[in-house]
Amino acid sequence: MNPAAATVSILIFFGSLILIFSEKINRSIVAIAGSMLMIIVGRAMNFYSEEAAIEAIDFSTLGLLLGMMILVAMLEPTGFFEYLAVLAARASRGQPIRLFFLLGSITTVLSMFLDNVTTVVLIAPVTILISEILGISPLPFLVTEALLSNTGGVATLVGDPPNVLIGSAAGLSFADFLIYSMPIVAVTWVGTLFLLRYLFRKELSRRPRNAKAVMRLNPAETLNHPKTARRILIVLCGAILFFFIHHLLHIEPFLVAMGAAATALIWVQPDINEVVKKVEWSVLIFFGALFVMVGGLEHAGVLEAIVDLMRGAASIDPVLFGVILIWVVAALSAVVDNVPITIALIPVIHGLGEAGMDVRPLWWALAFGAGFGGNGTIIGSTANIIVTNLSEKTRTPITSSLWMKRGLPVMLVACAIASILYTIIYRWF
Amino acid sequence: MIISKHMKRNVVSIHATASVREAAAIFVKKHIGLLPVVDDDDKPIGIVSLKDLLSLELPDFVSFIADVDFVHDFGAVETTRPPARVLDKSVKSLVKPAITVEEEDGLLRAYALMLQHDLHDIVVISKNGRLSGIASRVDIGTAILSAWEEVD
Repeated sequence: MNPAAATVSILIFFGSLILIFSEKINRSIVAIAGSMLMIIVGRAMNFYSEEAAIEAIDFSTLGLLLGMMILVAMLEPTGFFEYLAVLAARASRGQPIRLFFLLGSITTVLSMFLDNVTTVVLIAPVTILISEILGISPLPFLVTEALLSNTGGVATLVGDPPNVLIGSAAGLSFADFLIYSMPIVAVTWVGTLFLLRYLFRKELSRRPRNAKAVMRLNPAETLNHPKTARRILIVLCGAILFFFIHHLLHIEPFLVAMGAAATALIWVQPDINEVVKKVEWSVLIFFGALFVMVGGLEHAGVLEAIVDLMRGAASIDPVLFGVILIWVVAALSAVVDNVPITIALIPVIHGLGEAGMDVRPLWWALAFGAGFGGNGTIIGSTANIIVTNLSEKTRTPITSSLWMKRGLPVMLVACAIASILYTIIYRWF
Repeated sequence: MIISKHMKRNVVSIHATASVREAAAIFVKKHIGLLPVVDDDDKPIGIVSLKDLLSLELPDFVSFIADVDFVHDFGAVETTRPPARVLDKSVKSLVKPAITVEEEDGLLRAYALMLQHDLHDIVVISKNGRLSGIASRVDIGTAILSAWEEVD
């Protein structure tokens, strides 16, 4: 290892992370600038090159994200999300508690397979509409949707960007997530739902002023293009099916996602410019640039240094280490973006593995911490920020102090449940 | 064709110190869609539109949703009234900057400004900046059309 190269690459990486966390400059801009600086300095100091930088980009992660983004971008304008919310409203017959469980469940299931942000962006406005029609406060529903979309996202490989990163770094399949993550998330989800039911007991016990009006919402009219919606859903279900068995067929998840996107595009033939506009390019650029920076660290020999540092830590009890990891990552994710945290910790866990620790359970600890931690504060996840912004347009805005009383307990309970289950089932990992 | 020949001169306005409640009462009494807000010198400092007042009752959430055709009954929203604290606020809380034209300005300039800013009525001011009249799209549009009668 070249100490000068290692120091400079660490300075660039952590300097960029600090700028990203300070939120003074847009995270994608920081990442692009940081990654280019890493390549230029790497060339000058002879530890990094253009070829090495391109090799460092994990295109299978980007492909998986892009494929899912294209599918969601196509599904979004069909009105399918509104359709589900309206069905929930009718099924609830205007009873707030039933509506709470139904909307909560829909959000969880959608965010298991689709991007959390998209799920919330599409479900929250209809939720406000339904609440206004009923004459009740949308607040419990909005907070619950954000919290449960974060929770649901932890369950699957494609549910949350940190999971995509962890899956790719650790070579975990979709089925691995179903076996190891889904059961813990399922228990956490039930706990979260009933905890929120209790925390919002006062709001949910209010009688709606006009419960009958929701029965006059017509779900059929929410679907602008029923045929398109049906086709995309068929493709999406096919993709999910392939996700379940991709490891048996030796297909990379990115091929499943991009293959599904290609099938849907061919079948529906939408206006490609409209679809492309809805893809979150800034997220993909952010990921790509972070990969380039981490590649710089690797080539400067920083990761080997981490492995050496970790030799001491490798003797720590892995169960205890995992539980500590859940809480530390959760605390960090509650205040800053969980994607850079995950990217920064992946080499550390790899280092521990090479130093001799059995790190398989630690990947799950990282996923739980990054996923559940986002519930802790009003800025913990993008979903939280979106529902807060939307609620500011209603008569009952979500405040930081309200989030402390509703979101923080959810995060603590989720991390506690995850820690207990993690400790119990650790030996099966 | 200049605007001052086709505008309404008998303009109702409200002073900047009035409340939202007082403004709403004038809209109801005079059956109007736009109310200029003026200072002590009768100079317009802005406008309040019927649309802005109605947004207090039909909140922004309607604009979040691309289509509302599936909503056949607005339920509790129909009977929701803005809270007293909102009605007792100064009318300034709803004021938007006034797009104005001068009395000597042409009809097409006025009409183009109304299209650009999505206005149904436009405020006309005198040379010294005082409120002098108000013209609707119908006033301006029919005035323009009237010239067509001279075409052979």
